[in-house]
Amino acid sequence: MNFALKLGTSVLALTLAASAGFAQDADWWKKAAEPYQGVTLRGVTESSPPSLFIREVLAPQFEELTGIRVDVETTSWDQMFDKAIKDMEAGTGIYDMVYIEQDIIYSYLSRNFLTDLSGLLAANPQLKAATYDEANFTTFADYFKDEKGNLYGVPMEAFIKIYLYRTDLFGDPAIQAAFKEQTGKDLAPATTHADYTEIAKFFYEYGQANGLALWGTTVQGHTGHPASWYEYYESVAPTFGIYNWGIDASNNYAASVESGGQMNSDTAKEALQWWLDLRQYAPPETDQSTWTETGTTFGAGRAAQGLIYGENAGWIAADKDKSLVVGKVGVALPPLAEGVLAEVEAGNGYIGYYDGGAFGLPATSKNQEAAALFLQYIGQNEVQPDWAVAAPRVTNTATYDDPKVIAMNTELGGYYDMLKDKGYLFAGAPPYPFHAQLREATAPTFFEILTGALSASDGLDQIAVITEQTLTELGYRK
Amino acid sequence: MQSNRLGWILLAPTMVILFFFGVLPFVYVLWVSFHQWNPFAVDPTMVFNGADNFRKIVFDAAFLNSVGVTVMFVFFAVVSELIIGYFLAQAFMRDFPGKSFFRTIHTLPLIMAPIIVGSVWKLMMTPSIGIIPHYLNLWFGISVNIGTSPAAAFTTIVIMDIWHWTPLVTLTLIAALVSLPADPFEQAQIDGANKRQIFWHITLPMIAPAVVATVFIRLMDALRTVDEVWMLTGGGPGSATRFVGVHIFKEVFPKTNYGYGSTISVIVLYLTIVACWLLYVTMLAPRNSRKG
Repeated sequence: MNFALKLGTSVLALTLAASAGFAQDADWWKKAAEPYQGVTLRGVTESSPPSLFIREVLAPQFEELTGIRVDVETTSWDQMFDKAIKDMEAGTGIYDMVYIEQDIIYSYLSRNFLTDLSGLLAANPQLKAATYDEANFTTFADYFKDEKGNLYGVPMEAFIKIYLYRTDLFGDPAIQAAFKEQTGKDLAPATTHADYTEIAKFFYEYGQANGLALWGTTVQGHTGHPASWYEYYESVAPTFGIYNWGIDASNNYAASVESGGQMNSDTAKEALQWWLDLRQYAPPETDQSTWTETGTTFGAGRAAQGLIYGENAGWIAADKDKSLVVGKVGVALPPLAEGVLAEVEAGNGYIGYYDGGAFGLPATSKNQEAAALFLQYIGQNEVQPDWAVAAPRVTNTATYDDPKVIAMNTELGGYYDMLKDKGYLFAGAPPYPFHAQLREATAPTFFEILTGALSASDGLDQIAVITEQTLTELGYRK
Repeated sequence: MQSNRLGWILLAPTMVILFFFGVLPFVYVLWVSFHQWNPFAVDPTMVFNGADNFRKIVFDAAFLNSVGVTVMFVFFAVVSELIIGYFLAQAFMRDFPGKSFFRTIHTLPLIMAPIIVGSVWKLMMTPSIGIIPHYLNLWFGISVNIGTSPAAAFTTIVIMDIWHWTPLVTLTLIAALVSLPADPFEQAQIDGANKRQIFWHITLPMIAPAVVATVFIRLMDALRTVDEVWMLTGGGPGSATRFVGVHIFKEVFPKTNYGYGSTISVIVLYLTIVACWLLYVTMLAPRNSRKG
């Protein structure tokens, strides 16, 4: 089912819900919105399926219910941040809602860009909807809370970057036999890095030998886009036990081994080299692949396995209009180095990236109360199931138990089960207020490693130095 | 007096707009360039640091690299556009079947937004799915990957820019060629001048103001190229296509290094003015002094 059809179905479903399920609450919403008639709320967000659902379905629904107009601007990732930050920095108050990606929240909080939603609702009980409760959210909402536990954004998308593999290939008896003959092992999703490489090599050679457009793995290896930087630091390094980018925040933000960090440790170098070596088994577009293109590669049936963002797993597994591998996708945990799983289960570290975002209320908004109403509206349990079906994301615990979502879970090869049961093993970006600044300072060197101008070892040594230098300049490292 | 006052009144709206949208922002950027200012630093305020940013820029390898690749890009792109544009202008001066159609087709790239041009070329150049690498490989056995080859990425950007902007040069030169008087050419032919002599001694000097104006426009545009490169390579592979515009963008927006980013902008403006002045001095000033 394509996204447009899902949107249409959702509009219909929510219209029915509005006339039935929400009926008892409709009067409250109308009454709460009375003082804000004539107000137009403006939001800016990334043009992604979850955001489009807000613009096309939830905003019109809210308008109809309350009379408060909502304009949601969907744009590119870069433009979204550019517009939101400029607005909040200059205090112009253009936007009443901004998309807060999990990794930027700490920067926003450090600048007091956002309104404390918990505090606002506590101070204005007449604005608090009975159907909205912060306790309904999954633990992902914790990323958008301050140290006091106050919420600064209503989660609107949450997904993990998972190991996706082709069930049709992995389950083919002839391929299984060939793999067994070649490696002496049973063909199954890899649990170690060595296994992963072995499988990648096998399928690469299998594709070559049979004249297939099939490669062993995806690699998010763009040589000029931060996506490659993210794949290494947020998805690969943790599987080797390098967490928080290898920086020890508790030790004066140490990055280099000499200072007590791990950014250029032998393990970090081993992790990077493993990932770089995978490129020989990946399709030619790898060097220009960002998070979008790895999904496209997998959806086109060009890779047997890969680390894929959950936001793409949905259409890859279920959208026949876009994907050639519908019904042929399985999910698994990423391959891990020995001891990492035990370490993570003990609460020290994480095995991959838990991504997502929330809708926040800028402190500069001139329509705080009306915006708080809208944010509560999109945070209700009632609107979640259709949203989860239209754009695979789960932010409320109850969503997992909805029949529509359970059916979708089967289509997604158990992705929602993994999100629910194993989500705790994944983590968002480290709580650094200098996230983008450090990424941009080190990315050019990282790209040089990708092009081969620098070795993994020398490159990581340089990156550790640049990191400490940048953090000193920014005042975080003393 | 009356006409002077009327002139100032008519000019006033433009000058007011220029002041608020041109002069004031420039003065602000100049002011910021003397500060250390990153809103996501521990101290997010503007701290005056004198000429530190300007001193730092001289030793900034990333900036110097970006200037180097930008100068190379500007040279290859603008010179190629000028040469191809001139020949196309000459071709369009003559009558041939389908001339209007070809002129329209030839002008179409101009109406495309740079970001779209970058997207289209990215689609055409992506290995595996791109039409250009596919046919280069199929017909000539040449393997091109702009994600791994700095030379391929740079060359592709130059070709993309030529494709996008040559029509502007053509149109400007057509306008210049159309306005040339016939007499000097007829006299030169009577005196036995050949085509090369006519070009160097009559055509080129007479269209020089238009050529210089076109080069100025293209030079300034090319020096601040961002969108197409951003879409096509993101500045990669490595830093091979990290032109100065892309470098400034990355410094100012994702890195929020407003102070240093402003310094780079001021320096680039200075370099642009110097380049334009040199061009003016070498191409137009001798001609003007001869007149005087």
